[in-house]
Amino acid sequence: MRLLGKQRLKWVYSIGIIALISLFCLAPLYWIVITSLKTPGTEFRKPVEYWPSSFSLESYGVILGPQFRIQNAIKNSFIVSSAVTLGALLVTSLSAYTIARLRFKYKIESLILIQLAGMVPPIVTIAPTFVLIRSMGLLQTLWGLIIPNIAYNIPIGTWLMAAYFAGLPTDLEDAARVDGYPPFSTFWRVIIPLAAPGLFSAGVLAFLGSWGEFMLALTISLGLPSAQTVPVAILTFSQRHELQWAWVSAGIVLSLLPVVVMVLIFQKWVIKGLTAGAVKY
Amino acid sequence: MRQRLRLREPAVAVLFIVPAFIGLAVFFYYPIGQTMIFSLFDLDHTSDWLNAPFVGLGNYLDVMKSRQFWLSLRFTFLFSAVSVFLQFWIGLGMAMATFAVVPRLRGVLRAIIIIPWAIPQIVQAAMWKWLYNTDVGLIGDLLVRAGLVGRPPLFLADPRLAMGAVIFAYVWKTASVTSIFLMGGLAMVPDHLIDAAKVDGARTWMRFWRITVPLIMPTILVTLLFRTRDALRAFDIIYGLTGGGPGTQTDVLSSFAYKFYFGYVEYGLGSAYALITFVLILALSLFYLKRIQPHLQFRS
Repeated sequence: MRLLGKQRLKWVYSIGIIALISLFCLAPLYWIVITSLKTPGTEFRKPVEYWPSSFSLESYGVILGPQFRIQNAIKNSFIVSSAVTLGALLVTSLSAYTIARLRFKYKIESLILIQLAGMVPPIVTIAPTFVLIRSMGLLQTLWGLIIPNIAYNIPIGTWLMAAYFAGLPTDLEDAARVDGYPPFSTFWRVIIPLAAPGLFSAGVLAFLGSWGEFMLALTISLGLPSAQTVPVAILTFSQRHELQWAWVSAGIVLSLLPVVVMVLIFQKWVIKGLTAGAVKY
Repeated sequence: MRQRLRLREPAVAVLFIVPAFIGLAVFFYYPIGQTMIFSLFDLDHTSDWLNAPFVGLGNYLDVMKSRQFWLSLRFTFLFSAVSVFLQFWIGLGMAMATFAVVPRLRGVLRAIIIIPWAIPQIVQAAMWKWLYNTDVGLIGDLLVRAGLVGRPPLFLADPRLAMGAVIFAYVWKTASVTSIFLMGGLAMVPDHLIDAAKVDGARTWMRFWRITVPLIMPTILVTLLFRTRDALRAFDIIYGLTGGGPGTQTDVLSSFAYKFYFGYVEYGLGSAYALITFVLILALSLFYLKRIQPHLQFRS
């Protein structure tokens, strides 16, 4: 009986803790969702309505309509992020394999070069990158975003994958070696299947990272709507319609939906990916 | 057979790492070099440094002489110090909470904590602009309802409040990722050590400082390194929320440099600003890395 009481107490304070953290983490989002469902114009009504007196999907119509077409930006973001994820996984799993597993004379030097790049603030590289993309004729194109973003993933991706590779058992690799597999087949047939969960984590992080990338996306798109990804589109729209918060909120909700759903579904891998880099080294 | 493999492995190692090096060279090291060159020339509305006047360290001197620089440097430090401090403690609190709640609710709590991290920073900036709205914003209204203020403050127009508002919006997102990092560390603290301390009668606070903190120290250091680095180079939240305003009160080095690049089209001055930001981050990184180094391990 006493044990039951103690158990119940634990549930009560668990729910208390969760309520408190939800207030911090979710209240801003609640506000945006609620605003997006208010009839445009009523979001400025006083006293402030914590629960809309009238619900309306009008703002969603506007944001998907010809005036704005948020779906274009979402599509662009999907294209860019998917391509970046594939490219980054390919490049970083190879480099991480060298760092974590292969005999290589300049391991420490390579690692320093890679991690030093991770420390570079984007503001240092943005102007020459802009000039470079311009001279390649890739301004206002999605390729102009995809290629640099693959490179931007190298430091963190190599770090994560190397941490993952370092934690894999060596026996299968050794067996492959003894059997005379050349290193590339060992990598492709043995290591990659073993590292699938790690690759998946790194992939989710690369996807989300390039989904949220802003400085380059802003600079490369030069205001052209068809080359804008979600972050740039939302910012542009919120600046152009500064008093239409119901519309802007609807845009925010639609643009967040894909990533929030993704993070919730892949939560386990996201946490593994983020913590692997922090814990293993 | 073994002999041949041993000979081949280093070649494969090089082959595997070359694509990464090409990427780094083109999109990190070349631009850094170019920015260094830009910073030595007077580039007014041009990136054609070959035909521009060479001014040596003139741009740096101009930067040092401007009051704006010192103000933005000060705010960069203030922003980083306060936001990292808050992120760390809020993040740690949330991470520890996930271990304190009943196991069945752990997953739900983690999901809640992770959500702010998924939101792109610039989208957050737009969100917070609305939350800080003076007439009908959530934050102002809550403060009024709580009886803390008579009427909603001008969050983004008052210089001091704008600084706080930017920092808080930034902390909201980053506490989330800090928390996830620390969860990883906390998960590695063996239960039996905590239990042993409990048996020995150590109080919660003592257990935290004497057992948990030393055990997760490597994680804490790596977390602080990444968090400080990101805070020092923060750009999106400031660009989107205040645009550096009111005036240039909330400009950090990055947002100021961006104005020079793409606002005033002064690549030389912008580059000088950008490089100063980089040097700051490098100095701080070295400071942390010195402390992290003992924990590094590789199979060589």
